[in-house]
Order: sequence, then C-alpha cells, then structure tokens
Amino acid sequence: MSTTLRSVDQPERVAPSDASAEAHASTRVAQPYMDPYLAGIGLGLVLLAAFVIMGRGLGASGAFTAFIAWLAHLAAPAWAQQNEFLAGYLGDGSSHPLKAWLVFEVLGVAVGAFLSGMLAGRLRTTTERGPRASVRARLIAATLGGALMAWGAHLGRGCTSGQALTGGSLLNLGSWIFMMCVFGGAYAVARFLRWQWR
Amino acid sequence: MHAPFFKFGAFGDEVGLIWAFVLGIGFGFFLERAGFGSAKKLVSQFYLDDLAVFKVMFTAIVTAMLGTFFLSRAGLLDLALVYRTPTFWVPQVVGGLLLGIGFVVGGYCPGTSVASLATGRLDAAAYVSGIVLGTAGFALAFPALRGLFHAGSLGARSLPEALHLPVGVVVFLVVLMAVGGFVGAQALERRFARIHPERS
Amino acid sequence: MFETITTRANHLVDPHLHVWAWQIPLYLFLGGWVAGLLILFGLKLRRGARPARDSVTYPLPWIGLGLLSLGMLALFLDLEHKLHALRLYVSFEPSSPMSWGAWILLIVYPVLVLGALLDPPGALTRRFPWLTRAARSIRWTPDRLRLLGLVAIACGILLGVYTGVLLSSLGARPFWSSGLLAPLFLVSGLSAGAAFAHLIARRSDEQRQMVLLDTRLLAVELALLLLLVLGLVGGGAVQKEAAALVLRGPLTAIFWVLVVGVGVVLPLVVQLLAIRGRVHHQPVAPLLVLGGGLALRFVIVWAGQASHWLHG
Repeated sequence: MSTTLRSVDQPERVAPSDASAEAHASTRVAQPYMDPYLAGIGLGLVLLAAFVIMGRGLGASGAFTAFIAWLAHLAAPAWAQQNEFLAGYLGDGSSHPLKAWLVFEVLGVAVGAFLSGMLAGRLRTTTERGPRASVRARLIAATLGGALMAWGAHLGRGCTSGQALTGGSLLNLGSWIFMMCVFGGAYAVARFLRWQWR
Repeated sequence: MHAPFFKFGAFGDEVGLIWAFVLGIGFGFFLERAGFGSAKKLVSQFYLDDLAVFKVMFTAIVTAMLGTFFLSRAGLLDLALVYRTPTFWVPQVVGGLLLGIGFVVGGYCPGTSVASLATGRLDAAAYVSGIVLGTAGFALAFPALRGLFHAGSLGARSLPEALHLPVGVVVFLVVLMAVGGFVGAQALERRFARIHPERS
Repeated sequence: MFETITTRANHLVDPHLHVWAWQIPLYLFLGGWVAGLLILFGLKLRRGARPARDSVTYPLPWIGLGLLSLGMLALFLDLEHKLHALRLYVSFEPSSPMSWGAWILLIVYPVLVLGALLDPPGALTRRFPWLTRAARSIRWTPDRLRLLGLVAIACGILLGVYTGVLLSSLGARPFWSSGLLAPLFLVSGLSAGAAFAHLIARRSDEQRQMVLLDTRLLAVELALLLLLVLGLVGGGAVQKEAAALVLRGPLTAIFWVLVVGVGVVLPLVVQLLAIRGRVHHQPVAPLLVLGGGLALRFVIVWAGQASHWLHG
C-alpha cells in the first residue's frame, strides 16, 4: 500500500486541547514502539475477546488457504473438491470460499496495522534489510521464507497466531510442541542468515 | 449471557464475520504497536539483542490464559466449546521447524507479514506472495504429504492432560516460566546492549 | 436491452442463477463515477478553473471518456443479443428507464468530448496533431465555458440519478425500491469523482480541497446508507425481509465490512485525521473510496438477485 509518497504540507494547527507533544505531531518522525508488556496485554485481551465472543482464537495462515482454495475452485473445480487439503475450505460448495472467518479477520489485521502505523507515523514504503543485504537478495529471501512458512504452517495446522498464540494460551499440547520447534528452528539457522539482518 | 456467545447462538455466521473483522483490527493494531510490522524488529529475537517478540508473545499468552482460566472457573465461559486444534505431533514438529526457518529467512510470520504489508513494507509483499505460492505448492503436493500430515495423532489434547497435572498447576507453571523468561530476557538485553552499545 | 438472460445464466454452465454477473454492477459503478467527474468538472469550470493554474479539472473529461467507454463495454458484454442494443435508439420510450439511459449517454458523450477538447494532454497532441486543430476550432468565451459547466453538472446529475433509478424502476425487489437509492448512488459517484480528483491533484491546496469535499461526501453517504437500512427495517414485512439480507442474511458481512467499514468509515477516519493534521495525507484513502463504491454496487445488485455469494 502506498504511504506518504506525496505529502500535503498541512499548516501546523496546534489545538489548545492537545496537551502532549505527540498528540498533534505531524508525524514526520516515527514514534517509538509501545512497551512490549503493554502491547502483549493488549494482544492477549483481543485474543481473550475472540475466545469469549466467537469461541475460537486468532489466526492468519488459514486465510491464505481459503484464497488458494477459491482460486483452485475457479480454475479446476473438480480437482479442488477432490484435494483433501482444500476441500475443507470449500465446504459443501454452498458458500463462497472467501466468506471465511480468517479472511475477514486478516482483512481487519491489515486495517488495524495501517491505523496504528498511520497514527504513529510509521508508514514507510521500504524494504527492511540489514546494511549488508541488497534489496534484490532481501526480496528473494522474503519470498522463499514465505513459501517455507506456508509449508510449515500447513503441516503444523496453524502459524504463530493460530498455533503458538491461540493454542498456547489454551494450553494445547500440539501448540506448545509447535512453538518450541519454531524457536528451535529459528535459532538453529539464525547465524547462517546473519548477512541478511546485521 | 453465556460465553462463547457465538456458540450459544447470540448471532449467526454472517455477524461472526463482522466480529472477525473487528477482532482482526485489534489484533493488527497491537501487532503494529508492538513493532511487529518490522522484519528487523522481529528477527532481533533470534540475534538476542531485542527480545520483544518473546515478551509480547508470552505476555499475550499469559493474559489470555489467565482470562480464560478465571472466566471458566467463574462459570462464565464454557471452555469445552472453544475450538482446539487437534495435536498431530509429527507434522507439528516438522512444521514448527520449517516455520522457524522460514521466519528467519523471510523475516515474518503470516500475521505479522500482513501487518507489515499494510504499513508499506515491500519485503512483506514479497513474503505474502511467497505464502500464496507456497500454499498452492502445498495443495498440489498434498497427496504425497498425506501420510505425514496425519501422523502422530493425539486428538485435541491439552498440556494438563498430557502432564497429568491439574489445570491450575499448569497455569501457575506457565506464569512462572513466563516471568522467569522476562527476567532472563531483560538480563540478556542488558548484556547485548553492553556488547553492541550502538544498537540499544 | 432489458434482457435478464446472460450467457452464464444457463444451468449447464453454472448451477446458480446469475441473472446479472459482474457486468451490471461494474457498469453502475463506472456510470456513477463518470457522473461524479462530470459534476466536479462543471463546478470547477464555473468557478473559473484555467489550465495553467489547475491540475485537477481538465484531465477529468478524458478520464470520464475512458471510464464511460469501459462501462459501456461491460454493459455490451452483458447482452446476449448484442445487436439489439441498437433498437433502443430507434424509438424513445418515455416510461422506460433503459431508454432514458441510452439517450442520456448520447448527451453525456458529446459533453465529455467538448470538455476533453478544452485542454488535450501533451502526450496525445504530439501524436495526433489534429487534436490541437480541433481544440482550437472551438472559440471558448467565458460565458460559453460557464454554459458548458452548467450542462456538465446537469448531465452528471442525470447520469448519477439514473444509475439509481434504473434499479428502482425494475420494481419488485424491495431492496431496490427505496427512494434513497438514487441519492445514494449520486453521492457515492460524486465521492468517487472527488477521490479520483484527489489522486491526480498535483498541488497541495487542490488535494486539500478535494479531501475536504470527499470527507463531507463520505459523511453524507454514510448517513444515506444507514437511512436506507433503517428505512427497510421500519417498512413492511417484505422490506424487513430485504433488510435482513444485510442485518443477518448472506450480505451482512460484505455490506458492513467492505462497503461501510473499509469503503466509507475507514477513508472517512483517515481523512478526518489528515484534515486535523494528526497524520500525513494518505493517498490510500481515495483508493479505498473507489473500491468501496464498486463493492456498494455489487452488494445492491446482489441484494435483488440470486448470487453465489448469497447461498450459504
């Protein structure tokens, strides 16, 4: 999504009620991140609300499966229905595959993150990388990482959100096994990928 | 009113989708607030100089865990109606390792990549396209992966059941572990701040 | 042109009854958008916008021509018997909105062409020198410019209202019979026009002007959407049933999340914050407005039709 490419030079209007400096900051400088413990409590309360309201936790990777299931259903309906992995996301064919809980949730994630980033002046069209990594190498690695992650999440029946966070707080056995393996896998390869980040 | 509201028929599927969107906004908002819209911030966890990922994740887990524990104790929330992903330990070990590797290679996990894309990061766009391609590949390869996918089934088993401990004890142990982790994380960060003062 | 049979409405091709597929909602959206561009163009022209000092006004008719042609193409694709379209021009039926529509388009095109010739973009005049000659052959006095502006505004209002009346006139669908549909489509089209002008504006004061205009339009659109639903809720049994489509029925999520949430409320919030200087100007807001406008047409058309999205 495009961000602050063309900025309007708005006159600085300092409303008298704006006591704090951040309140009317024209957000040219990014604000610091929230305290991790406070952000964690916020995240935990959202998750708790999901349990109380919906009886299910948060997720992300399933939204991508719904998307692929929809595409596959458009391209090759018979094949998609027979594919055991996708069939679950197609249901009995009576409802649109994109009308899935996780698809709407992930749409909300994008909106929420955009709002937070906008209010904190953190919207930037950039490629995140360490000083030694080229943009091209970083984009290739990101694509590869996404693909690896997709396999991991689909094998594990959920990702960091659906398994580690949601299953973790429900004290789900498989989720804790999964979470430990995520940290294990990441720490095991971190030193070989230092070029990308440090 | 009994919780989970949806499971007790307070509203239907369609209104549930609106809740999905609203809860997603909260989720995305706090992900970005915590700094999880930035790959550099996220992977710092694995280079030990900024352990925000661990702190945020475990604070969230403990908050939600204590919330569900006390709400169900008070009889307000029927935990049996909250969906639990069944345990298949073999693919979950393999999947966890792959996801961990993908995390450091790509810089994100699925939820954070969406948050990052929404704040303009181009590497997050590449990562998301990687997820889409990977998911398509996974669907194509699924007939060959079936055996692995269904291996090690233990059903919807919980940690207290597996450890033969009361739920309250496990909740207490997780809180203890998290607090210990937070203290350790602060100590680690202080040490790394001394070694790399420019990065603190 | 009043054919309810499309190439897909065939039980051999598609198990669901797609009376109207994507073509009609797209046409309604593009028509409304062009209406908005025309009204905006007319207003700007009457306020004395001149090419040298204005980056917004003069490209609008060009864009309008392109969008309207795209809309006509979508409409054409929807017809099973393409040649029958010509019949609408053989006679004029005062009681048929489709006939009205065909004739409105016949006025809109020349107005757009006249507007376009006021200031043809350099990229085109270099390749087609005759454009410059054609543009110069018309002598524009300030009075004539104001007249063109007035005609553009009138055409825009006609076109915008027509896209709403078209559905209302197709009668028996309670969701379409609301009298609010025409103003809703008109305001939504205007809002799309303002959003687009905001996107192409080069100067910050022009951008700001468009942001202010679009923010007001979005607020009105939000009110109209809520009134539409409330009106149906307060109506008879048939109307209540129609309202249920967006209150718990199959269009609930897409209506509140995509049309109201992402298409109206989110850009409204973003632009209000931008106006107050709390955040930077965000070019993403007008894109959301355009997407929301398209989603609105789909939802409204689906609300009176069987669609895949409805089943389930």
